Amino acid sequence: MVALSEGEKHFIRGGIEQDIRTDGRRRLQFRALSVETGVIPQANGSARVRLGGTEIITSVKAELGKPSILHPDQGKVSIFVDCSPTAEPMFEGRGSEELSAELSVALQRCLLGGKSGAGAAIDLSSLIVVEGKVCWDLYIDGLVISSDGNLLDALAAAIKVALSDTGIPKVNVSLSAASDEEPEVDVSDEEFLQFDTSSVPVIITLTKVGRHYIIDATSEEESQMSSAVSVSVNRHGQICGLTKRGGAGLDPSVIFDMISVAKHVSQQFMSLLDSEIAAAEAEAAE
Amino acid sequence: MEYVNPLTGFRVDGRRPNEMRQLKGEVGVVARADGSALFEMGNTRVIAAVYGPREIQNRGQQVNSNEALVRCEYRMAEFSTGDRRRKPKGDRRSTEISLVIRQTMEASILTHLMPRSQIDIFVQVLQADGGTRSACINAATLALADAGIPMRDIVTSCSAGYLCSTPLLDLNYIEDSAGGPDVTVGILTKMDKVTLLQMDAKLPMDTFENVMELAIEGCKAIATYIREVLLENTKRLECQRG
Repeated sequence: MVALSEGEKHFIRGGIEQDIRTDGRRRLQFRALSVETGVIPQANGSARVRLGGTEIITSVKAELGKPSILHPDQGKVSIFVDCSPTAEPMFEGRGSEELSAELSVALQRCLLGGKSGAGAAIDLSSLIVVEGKVCWDLYIDGLVISSDGNLLDALAAAIKVALSDTGIPKVNVSLSAASDEEPEVDVSDEEFLQFDTSSVPVIITLTKVGRHYIIDATSEEESQMSSAVSVSVNRHGQICGLTKRGGAGLDPSVIFDMISVAKHVSQQFMSLLDSEIAAAEAEAAE
Repeated sequence: MEYVNPLTGFRVDGRRPNEMRQLKGEVGVVARADGSALFEMGNTRVIAAVYGPREIQNRGQQVNSNEALVRCEYRMAEFSTGDRRRKPKGDRRSTEISLVIRQTMEASILTHLMPRSQIDIFVQVLQADGGTRSACINAATLALADAGIPMRDIVTSCSAGYLCSTPLLDLNYIEDSAGGPDVTVGILTKMDKVTLLQMDAKLPMDTFENVMELAIEGCKAIATYIREVLLENTKRLECQRG
């Protein structure tokens, strides 16, 4: 929880009004981003993303499973978020459940598409090994280590980085003659297939404070927000998901305005993230 | 299974029986916490964060108003174990380890200096490969020191076991699940006092002495390392002050 005095509140609001925030940033400027890959050797892919004081670790684990009866030609992806009490004492025990669930659902909405799997950022049919029999189950786990606002954007960025780091083992299937038998699966531990992460969107949250909106809000700034809109945008500038939080209502024209700003910012953020991923991969390869 | 190669005397991961895994400690990893640390023992990796001393949040928990209240929570990340399994929060193992860490740390904190206040220690396991209990205690010590909380001494912990009639220092997950005895020791290094001692399975008295001796040696080595990390950090802070 953030406790602010009247003076501090006034200072934060006034700064946003004048386009100079308390840490010297402009309204549409991100904090320093740092990216590291391969932090969890036990996982198929993992990443640590720091955005100012916010720190996230994500891991991607792939397990062989059975496709659902409704979609025999698709693999399964699930996203879970956990907020560690190291980030905020408030999160101890069951204190983080509500926020964790909110973040998980928002990420699922932005990354996994509809119920049918249409519009998902990850091509679910690429996870199939034997149609109707064997598929990859992808478990994406996000862990909030340190929280200083803008968790959703940082989580989405961390998932994007972790997916680009993920290698799915190559599987050799020896099909038996009888079609109702379980196919024999041989998982290679040397050959890995990389993911196509080009269509994974980033999330840009615009936080409205007073008459203006800012990106990448710190928790002090978030405590002053009236409402926030999270827009997930992919590389082609298409909107993949939208979430509005906060109590105050927004004029539809303002929302359209916010979306176009988010679209513009997302392209900058995406290229920044891409260069960070490339740098992290180069470092990991050394 | 051979846990110690009878010819070369090496263990499954290539260590000698009295060799510890690679240690790594880093202070100040959580930006907003009052004190925080990352501690690695081989593949076991934990983060500890300390909040406090601060006002007691829940007055009902206050036992003695002349001493600080120390609280601890141990949590494992979803991805920390080899096979991914969703466990309910606050399962019995976590509760037990939380309690052990709290009691061990309480023994070294000068609680009487901070009456009517509370200190929270949160440990988060990022990767578990045996010896999480010890790693958590070592991380908590570093984090408490980082938070500037007055302590009697540095508490460190290390485990030792006995497999293939050889005492082994700092068991990893494979050796830990072999079913042999696992002795976890926590000591106050300078005062040479044992604050934590746990063992499962059975062991003859004279062997136990050797194994415990080995674990204490491990604790002392860790304490030396932790002092180095803290000294390095203090030097860095001094440099920053100019």
